[in-house]
Amino acid sequence: MALLKGTLDVLVLKTLSWGPMHGVEITTWLESRSDGKIDVTDAALLQALHRLEERELIAAEWAITDHGRRARYYRLTSAGRARLRAESTALIDHVKTLTAILTARSAET
Amino acid sequence: MSPQRDRDRDAFRAGVRRLFKLPLFTRAAARADADAELDAFLAERIDRLVLSGLTPADARAEALRRLGSPEGDARLVLRRSAQRRQRHQWLRQAAADLREDLRIAVRRFAHSPAFTATALLTLAFGIGANTAIFSAVHGLLLAPLAFPNGNRIVMPMQENDRYRGDSRFERRNMAGALIEAWQQRTHTVEDIAAASEDMFSLDADGTIDTLTSAVVTVNFLPMLGVEPLVGRGFSPGDVVRHGPPNVAVISEALWRQSYAGRSDIVGRTVTLDGRPLAIIGVAPAGLNIPLSHKTPPDMWVPGALTDAVDGGTGSLDISPSVFALLRPGVSVDVASRELESIAAGVPHAAGLGGRLRVMRAQDFVNAGETRALEVLFAAVGALLLTACATVANLLLARAWTRQREFAIRGALGAGRRRLARQVLTESMSLALAGGLLGIGVAGLTLRVIVALRPPGLDRLADVHIEPAVLLWTLVVSVLTGLSFGCAPAFFAGLHPVGDVLRREMRGGSAGVISRRVRSTLVVLQIAASLALLVASGLLVRSFAALQRMPLGFEPRGLLYADVLIAGTREQRGTIRDEIIRHLQSLRDVTGVSIGVMPGKGWLGGGVEAEIDPEGHTADVPALGTIMMSPGYLRVARIPLLAGRLPDSTSFSSLGPAGWSSEVLVNRALARRLWPAGRAIGAHLREKPFPGRPPAPWSTVVGVTSDTRIPGESGDVAAYQVYTIDRLVSEVPFVVRTTMSGDDAAPIVKRAITAVDPHIFARPILSGDTYLRDGLAPTRFAMSLLTAFGVVALALAAIGLSGVIAYSVSQRTREIGIRLALGADPSRVVRHVVSGGLGLVALGIALGAAAALAATRALSSMLYGVGAADPPTFVAIALLVGAIALVASYVPARRALRIDPAETLRAD
Repeated sequence: MALLKGTLDVLVLKTLSWGPMHGVEITTWLESRSDGKIDVTDAALLQALHRLEERELIAAEWAITDHGRRARYYRLTSAGRARLRAESTALIDHVKTLTAILTARSAET
Repeated sequence: MSPQRDRDRDAFRAGVRRLFKLPLFTRAAARADADAELDAFLAERIDRLVLSGLTPADARAEALRRLGSPEGDARLVLRRSAQRRQRHQWLRQAAADLREDLRIAVRRFAHSPAFTATALLTLAFGIGANTAIFSAVHGLLLAPLAFPNGNRIVMPMQENDRYRGDSRFERRNMAGALIEAWQQRTHTVEDIAAASEDMFSLDADGTIDTLTSAVVTVNFLPMLGVEPLVGRGFSPGDVVRHGPPNVAVISEALWRQSYAGRSDIVGRTVTLDGRPLAIIGVAPAGLNIPLSHKTPPDMWVPGALTDAVDGGTGSLDISPSVFALLRPGVSVDVASRELESIAAGVPHAAGLGGRLRVMRAQDFVNAGETRALEVLFAAVGALLLTACATVANLLLARAWTRQREFAIRGALGAGRRRLARQVLTESMSLALAGGLLGIGVAGLTLRVIVALRPPGLDRLADVHIEPAVLLWTLVVSVLTGLSFGCAPAFFAGLHPVGDVLRREMRGGSAGVISRRVRSTLVVLQIAASLALLVASGLLVRSFAALQRMPLGFEPRGLLYADVLIAGTREQRGTIRDEIIRHLQSLRDVTGVSIGVMPGKGWLGGGVEAEIDPEGHTADVPALGTIMMSPGYLRVARIPLLAGRLPDSTSFSSLGPAGWSSEVLVNRALARRLWPAGRAIGAHLREKPFPGRPPAPWSTVVGVTSDTRIPGESGDVAAYQVYTIDRLVSEVPFVVRTTMSGDDAAPIVKRAITAVDPHIFARPILSGDTYLRDGLAPTRFAMSLLTAFGVVALALAAIGLSGVIAYSVSQRTREIGIRLALGADPSRVVRHVVSGGLGLVALGIALGAAAALAATRALSSMLYGVGAADPPTFVAIALLVGAIALVASYVPARRALRIDPAETLRAD
């Protein structure tokens, strides 16, 4: 499933609201939560992470993974948390409106 | 270097930075970080895929597939975003640091208001004086021609053969034929215009005034790029050949003053020397050429370009200046060569002789009385130096007391760089705040300067603090902040923590380096203030000498009126005699004569003289000629040193050319031509013009004293010939009154114009005014230099007393012990003071050397005193020494109040 424009950022923020994760963990989490329906390329995800970091919505730090590898771990900043709240509310409203319109039954059926 | 090694190196550097928890400072580090992240991501992905059962090769293929784009592309994109992120973070960090530093700085300044106020005031004065003088320098020297094409205007000039070898007498006369040849053939010059100047009496709505006016060719205003503010410029139809002009463009200043800036100005009539003129336009402010007068013209009238050499057939025949507009990108040299080669082909121009010279109009303006400004510019530089030294000293004193703070902050992890930046931020914010205050000080200083300005620098009144000047202030403030901030910044990072804290514990005397730096600064301050005061001292002595200068005549109460008389020769003669009678009848007038103000003269051609009975001749290239009536010497009170006055009938024998058959010479000319003292009875005549018959010889019948006006160029008055006058159309009068010249001028003017309505008296000039104006440039430079010098000395005294106070506070224990052991208190004070006196002596010696080097530049402004005048140097050195002694004695006395028991208990 292709993502709606601009929703990847909020999904990443949501993912990180569960705790600090590195790139592979984030994409794995998204995949499992969407039953594999969300399909984001790894390159796009990494870019999104950089973009969010530049806006200081998330912060990064190098650390060691469970498998003993080094990885760049991302965590939500307080600005990111606030943004997540605002964006997800707006997005949910938006989706509700779309759903209402698209599921309305026309008069003749 | 291979990409792989490149990457390895970056990764290594990034690793080192991570190890020390440093932020990613460089683009390369950001790039390495992005690479490392991608590599780690892929490795993790592959690990997981292998765990889920894929072979390593398949896992790798799958990982790359999931990446979504070729690995190389993905890597590039990530590097770019990482670098952008790094730049962003760096800026954010820098801004945050700056905010923090500023917050600390402001808090700290608020904590020590006395220090802050002293530093700010010092800086405001230093920067303010600098800004004010730079405004003047900028307005007068750097951008004097404030109209669109100002920087492309050049002035071709021709040296006159008659004055060859004497560059002071270069003329700007130019043959009309030559100008026309240039106009037709040039490729380097866009346009050529000519202008000549004169003074007129203007009758505008009943008020008679005198103004500077210029006759210009029709293309003059468009060539300069000047558009009239109101109305129109000249058109070819405005030129009246063989007659006076009938239209005029007036200056913005005249429009505002005499017509209150009325919008219906166009079409109004003014009367210029009795002729009606219609005003057709108003020129914008800043149009200050032609340039031969010190004040910008008030009015421009159109004239035809005529042949100046042939005597002129139209209006532009009085020494016209030629102005040419260079094509964009053409250098003065190139244009000069081209104009020269064209001139070589014009026969008439060759007849005039002389070498052609092309000069930028801007440089021509600057050739005038700008020495005072240059000197003042150097002086404010010295003042700013002492201001910097003062503030650096204050900051160093604080830096020392803050060493403990820095040491502790350093121990807590603040880097040297960070601490130095904190100190620099403080200095910078101090300097910029000082600069801001300085703009206010500059405004006030500029007002004082304008009020004090000498007549030669009248253009100063138009000087304002402009954007370019504010930019200068900013640059000066930043440089100032850097210069006085560097020393403390250096010290902030200098001392290892342990040292400082240990030293504190011991309470010993510390800060040898800091004290040395502060002492050096004090020496600099003393030297700079001494140099400034020596310069002002020399000017004070010059001023006194100028006031005592033997003038050779009595200027006070002497008036000079230049009168134009219309009518036939006989009518004019009658009116002239009538004016004399009328003036003599005035109650306060004791004498009237024909002649110009002594010391002014009319600079004429050279003279040729028989210098011995054998008929050998000698010549003098140029001299002043005074046309006079026999009463002249009595009215002007010029002593006749030898011989007798010329016979008043002696001119009639000569015909229209040449001087009267009997003349007087001044003593300087007599000594130059006849050193053996046989002037009386000798013959001389005007040096022959090329291609004209020589004038008849005249006989010297008497020798007068030399006359001079202070401040006037000595060239005119150095050598004088006095000859009986036979002019009737433009007659100079000198009038001796019992009143001051200023009071008498209007009375004399009314008396002259009352004789006949067709008389136009140019402004009445009084000897008193000449005297005052002659002294003005010296008084101007003297007042400002003295003010700067006094401020600098005060700053030096503050600096010195700070250093002494500091040394007393550092040596409290030592002094306490001495006193406890029974030392004589006065000896202790002497001991402390003598430490300061070494600095003073060094400062005075250095300052004297600097002054010796610098005052040479002043020598053209000095009169009656040498640039290395020993009494001035000694007096100023004593003054500085005395002030320094007081400045060190006051804090030294504090040593006496030290209680020995107290100091020993303190530890």
